[in-house]
Amino acid sequence: MENDKQLNPQESLQLIAETIQKAKGGFHETGISAILWGSVVSAAGLVSFIEKYFNFYIGFDIWLIVLAAIIPQVFISIKENKNKKVIAHDEKFLDATWMVYGISIFALMFYINIVPNVSQQLITTYDNSQLYIKNIATNKTEIWRPYIFSQSSLYLILFSIPTLVTGIARRFKPMLYGGLLCLALFVISCYTITLWDMLLLALAGIFNWLIPGLILRSRFLKGKAC
Amino acid sequence: MFAELDPILHSQLRLAVMSLLIGVKEAEFTFIKEKTNSTAGNLSVQIQKLKDAGYIDVVKEFKDNYPNTTCKITTKGIHAFETYVQALQQYLKVQNP
Repeated sequence: MENDKQLNPQESLQLIAETIQKAKGGFHETGISAILWGSVVSAAGLVSFIEKYFNFYIGFDIWLIVLAAIIPQVFISIKENKNKKVIAHDEKFLDATWMVYGISIFALMFYINIVPNVSQQLITTYDNSQLYIKNIATNKTEIWRPYIFSQSSLYLILFSIPTLVTGIARRFKPMLYGGLLCLALFVISCYTITLWDMLLLALAGIFNWLIPGLILRSRFLKGKAC
Repeated sequence: MFAELDPILHSQLRLAVMSLLIGVKEAEFTFIKEKTNSTAGNLSVQIQKLKDAGYIDVVKEFKDNYPNTTCKITTKGIHAFETYVQALQQYLKVQNP
């Protein structure tokens, strides 16, 4: 581009519009993080569904791969930040949204694992009593252990928040539709048993992150090739 | 009466740099060079002119042992850019009433 070329007002406005458009195309996400989390959540959901449907156990809790995925995510984030040549206006806000989402997911895991035990202890310490549940078919009586119903619904509603925020802020339709679908899956999960909830979680992983991630990746690679 | 077009912005490369920076929080020199399709020497000179006018902030630092220049539009730069665009629109309104 030359510097001294005299532009008329029409050409100036055209240059401004074209350059703003070029800048927009310059900060495509690499899509790697979305692909990673989409693959991990959908794989864990599908394996859980297959385990429950065919009544077998693979030997370990498949959802542990979600925890393991944090390690590559740390390296991906460091590498992406190093290679970043431009920072968009909404970048900090979106980064904060995803970080708060990550914290919230772990807070929810903590809640689901801790609250039943604490509730039982509170019931016991209140008047030193236990609650029992009786199976009228077998006439068997057992201590009632508090349980959080439809846990997957809570995860689904959390999954939709950062995806919808990113979809709306970046006007990225695959994430917007993925987030909306996730909300629909949340409603469905309120009426389904855990077996089908696992399938819903897998679908959320695929439509929320895996497909948008693959689209981002292809756009990023196209932009790099130009 | 037409507003006078800002001579700092009324140049192809400087206007392109400002148009790029208005859409982002900050951008590295290499990104601007790539998007404006300019030479490093010419771009350095124009960036210096924009910096001298107070339209952009330039931060020079080392990244992975290599010098790295980052540019960011200032409030004065945003105001100048908006005034420039309004003036252009005024000209165009008269040409195409």
